[in-house]
Amino acid sequence: MSAHQDGGPPTAGRGAGDRAPALEIRRMTVSYGARPVLWDVDASFPAGRLSAIVGPNGAGKSTLLKAALGLIPADAGQTLVEGRPVGAARDRVAYVPQRDAVDWDFPITVREVVEMGRYAPTGWFRRVPRRDAALVDDCLERVGMGDFRGRQIGQLSGGQRQRVFIARALAQQAPLLLMDEPFSGVDARTEASILELLAALRDEGRSIVVVHHDLGTVRGAFDHALLLNVRAVAEGPVAEVVTRETLARAYGAGADAVGRDAGEALSWAG
Amino acid sequence: MGWLIDLLPLNYSDAVVAIGAALLGIAAGALGVFAVLRQRSLVGDALAHAALPGVCVAFLATGAKDATTLLVGAALAGLVGALLMVGIERTSRVRPDAAIGVVLSSFFSLGIVLLTHIASTNDANQAGLDTYLFGQAAGLLERDLDVMAVLAVVALAVVALAFRPLKTTLFDPAFAGAVGLPVRLLEIFMTMLLVVAVVIGLRTVGAILMVAMLVVPAVAARQLCNRLSLLIPLAALIGAAVGVAGALIAARAEVPTGPVIVLVGFAVVLATVLLAPGRGVLWRGRKLARDRRRALVEGVLVDLETTIHAGPPPTPRELALASGRPRRQVARALSALDRAGMLARDGERIHLTESGAAAAHAVLERRDLWSAWLEHGWKLRLPDAREPDPTDLRASLGDDCADELRRLALAGDGGGAAGDAGQGAR
Amino acid sequence: MSDDLTIILTAGLVATAAGLLGPFLVLRRVALMSDAVSHAVLPGIVAVYLLFETRAPLPVIVGAAVFAVVCVIGIDLLRSTRLVASDAAIALVFPALFALGVLGVTEFASGAHLDLDATIYGEIAFAPFDVWAFGSVEVARSIVLLGAVVLANATLVALLWKELKATTFDPEFSRTIGISPTLLSRLLLIAVAVTAVTAFESVGAILVVTMLIVPAAAAYLLCDRLLAMIAVTLGIGWLSAVLGHTVALRADASIAGSMGLVAACCFVLALVLSPKYGLLARALQRRRRRREVRAALAEAHAAR
Ligand SMILES: Nc1ncnc2c1ncn2[C@@H]1O[C@H](COP(=O)(O)OP(=O)(O)O)[C@@H](O)[C@H]1O
Ligand SMILES: [Mg+2]
Repeated sequence: MSAHQDGGPPTAGRGAGDRAPALEIRRMTVSYGARPVLWDVDASFPAGRLSAIVGPNGAGKSTLLKAALGLIPADAGQTLVEGRPVGAARDRVAYVPQRDAVDWDFPITVREVVEMGRYAPTGWFRRVPRRDAALVDDCLERVGMGDFRGRQIGQLSGGQRQRVFIARALAQQAPLLLMDEPFSGVDARTEASILELLAALRDEGRSIVVVHHDLGTVRGAFDHALLLNVRAVAEGPVAEVVTRETLARAYGAGADAVGRDAGEALSWAG
Repeated sequence: MGWLIDLLPLNYSDAVVAIGAALLGIAAGALGVFAVLRQRSLVGDALAHAALPGVCVAFLATGAKDATTLLVGAALAGLVGALLMVGIERTSRVRPDAAIGVVLSSFFSLGIVLLTHIASTNDANQAGLDTYLFGQAAGLLERDLDVMAVLAVVALAVVALAFRPLKTTLFDPAFAGAVGLPVRLLEIFMTMLLVVAVVIGLRTVGAILMVAMLVVPAVAARQLCNRLSLLIPLAALIGAAVGVAGALIAARAEVPTGPVIVLVGFAVVLATVLLAPGRGVLWRGRKLARDRRRALVEGVLVDLETTIHAGPPPTPRELALASGRPRRQVARALSALDRAGMLARDGERIHLTESGAAAAHAVLERRDLWSAWLEHGWKLRLPDAREPDPTDLRASLGDDCADELRRLALAGDGGGAAGDAGQGAR
Repeated sequence: MSDDLTIILTAGLVATAAGLLGPFLVLRRVALMSDAVSHAVLPGIVAVYLLFETRAPLPVIVGAAVFAVVCVIGIDLLRSTRLVASDAAIALVFPALFALGVLGVTEFASGAHLDLDATIYGEIAFAPFDVWAFGSVEVARSIVLLGAVVLANATLVALLWKELKATTFDPEFSRTIGISPTLLSRLLLIAVAVTAVTAFESVGAILVVTMLIVPAAAAYLLCDRLLAMIAVTLGIGWLSAVLGHTVALRADASIAGSMGLVAACCFVLALVLSPKYGLLARALQRRRRRREVRAALAEAHAAR
């Protein structure tokens, strides 16, 4: 791995450097059938930082998150959350999956979706206590969806749906937030306000890992990045990772265009 | 159950059938929701057909033909079929519909082979096994009601108890897995619940009609409510109502119960699909027509205002010519405006009354606001996730944001076009 | 023609007619349409009996086909509201039609030989007894009728090969190149309906449904190309017909049931043994893969 994560964080002062990494992935190897999708990936996402996983389509970004959470079997590899094996730290992680498999006609309201975030912490068979109900409402307010709590989920726009899923993750009150492509199918305004929210959460001390493929925003808004293409191409502070040379390695020949005007918009929308 | 039978104003056997149909409706209605929401509505079909070999094997194994033995056989075969279905889907590239179809035809073929085998070895005794699948509500006994009631209560209790894990898994399996729910087990569990419902229903309404009993209540209830926690009880209620109504009609008309229940159910689904408020086909159609009409009337109103602004009041024909709309449409819009007291006629020529002019200005203002949004919207800070509705920006964004937008638009136009904003937008 | 040969030929023709369409049903994820259609035709049969007092094959087939089309279009309409998913639409429409048929049978046609057993289990064993004479040649009715259906299906599939393939693979794309997926889907389902109805009348519903779904599902586990899939489907269908007949004779069991069981066995074999998608092949591959990965990783880490 090229650079490492202890490049002094810009907003130090919470002693983030002393905390164990929020999420540490060791030697993760995953294959579907005979095809390797992830090969020997090491990654370490620092606590209290906003990190991005970047890479071309099919690079294995979603697979990395799923394998890290144990949702799909890995050939080899290990995941530590705050230094503990992920199986023992489920309550420390909130996961926002990619949303392509959701049935939008499902009979469920916005508030119920967010309340789902409290089921595991309170216990699946206990009633949700009153302070949790208040927390659910707070989370909805926080993503600006307070006025929509009674709507059925399918009646929302793409951006609003994404806000609801983020609110659900907030309701889990986990210190580590994993999000898979939260900005796909989302309008620019929502993207900006979600980024703002993520920065605020980071400043409250949460650790956030976002799968993303818009290099332009990665440079502006994130602290730390993992550049992935089956292997971990580079990892470290954003400025060191998102460079002409590493991009060319991750994106291959197609990255020439990116490399040429790396100073301008490095946007890879698609 | 005796007290309930006495309570109903029906003769004994009709009352038994009605209660049976109600119990079946409750159980199948509540459990069918899980099949319908997983888009496996036809699982019931396969499970019902899978019962045949179970019934045959139970008969072969025990030599007895009493209801309980056959019921247990049917349930076990249903379970095996259910597990196979989930297994085929999970482990291969075969899709749910084909997996259901394969289990259905394989089990039913096996059932037929077993039936012929029984027929050739146990001669007369087998009569009745093959009719198991067709159901005979009239043959219900009071004792059957107790069994059905117990099964229905257990099924409902289990759903109530496991409601949250089931809901989470159904809605978002990826999330459910991430918070540590055993997604596969729950999936199997849901299918097993269906087996219970099918076994309850098989002898009352028969295999094919059982399919409808599972799906009708869920689909009808879905048109009427937006929350799973209401959907399940509502489906149970609809199931019970359909069952009882069908049983009563069948008793009156002296025809078989099962088919009547299914037809009543189908009618209920049609009614909800057509009429459901906010969702039904007719409701949506009416809303579409209303929106079109409103757009037409507003368009003609604005056209009229513009024409008057530019020259002498037009005749309807001139207005149609100037606005490029078909004359019939203009006439329709004009008569609507007339009824609203917005038009003043001067022979052939048309003026706007005061209220008409005000309405025209309101429409123009709304349009200006929309073009201001398109041009300056990105500068606006919205306090939450609200999104603009083109037909009424002010209502959807709130007064503060709308005023801010106006200010931005005025500033953007250099302040000079304030009075002409309406004209500029056209 | 010997009775056994007639039975095998009848079943083989059913397998052929169904095998030409089944792969499309499986690929389009509407395999269960076959089951739906084969039940939905009951009111057609009853109506023909009530109106014309006949059970002659041609009027029955026409009456049944009318209701099969009603079923297909009803499902399409319900689905097009977008308020009901397509599986639920199937599960709503065909039981309702079937219920109509049952009411008709019990109410108006009781006494006639039109009981449920006969329509559900239309029996292939009786196929040789119904013959049509062409001059001095006597041919089983089922063979003539099913032969015609096979010809019709083959013509349909051959003529619309590209269109069927395109709409099955990518309906949105085919719309942009001017092929209507709705039209093709209706044509296909009507062909399924006519096939089901004709075969239903001579071999019983369950064998038709089995032949439409099971061989195609097995073939789907074995091949990746449409043409190959159809060929394999036909092969499995004929194998089931021949082997099923033998088994039925040996075990003195239902012929249709035995054929269905043989088809089911073929499916299980494909499920386990398919060289590419089989459980066994994939389990072995997974093990080999895991071992390779371990070795390669160990090597890489040692080198570091
Ligand atoms: N369930 C699966 N079965 C087989 N291949 C898969 C599966 N899921 C993903 N893949 C393949 O693995 C690769 C990585 O997928 P993914 O992690 O989703 O990429 P990304 O999220 O970076 O776009 C892709 O090439 C994809 O085709
Ligand atoms: Mg992805």
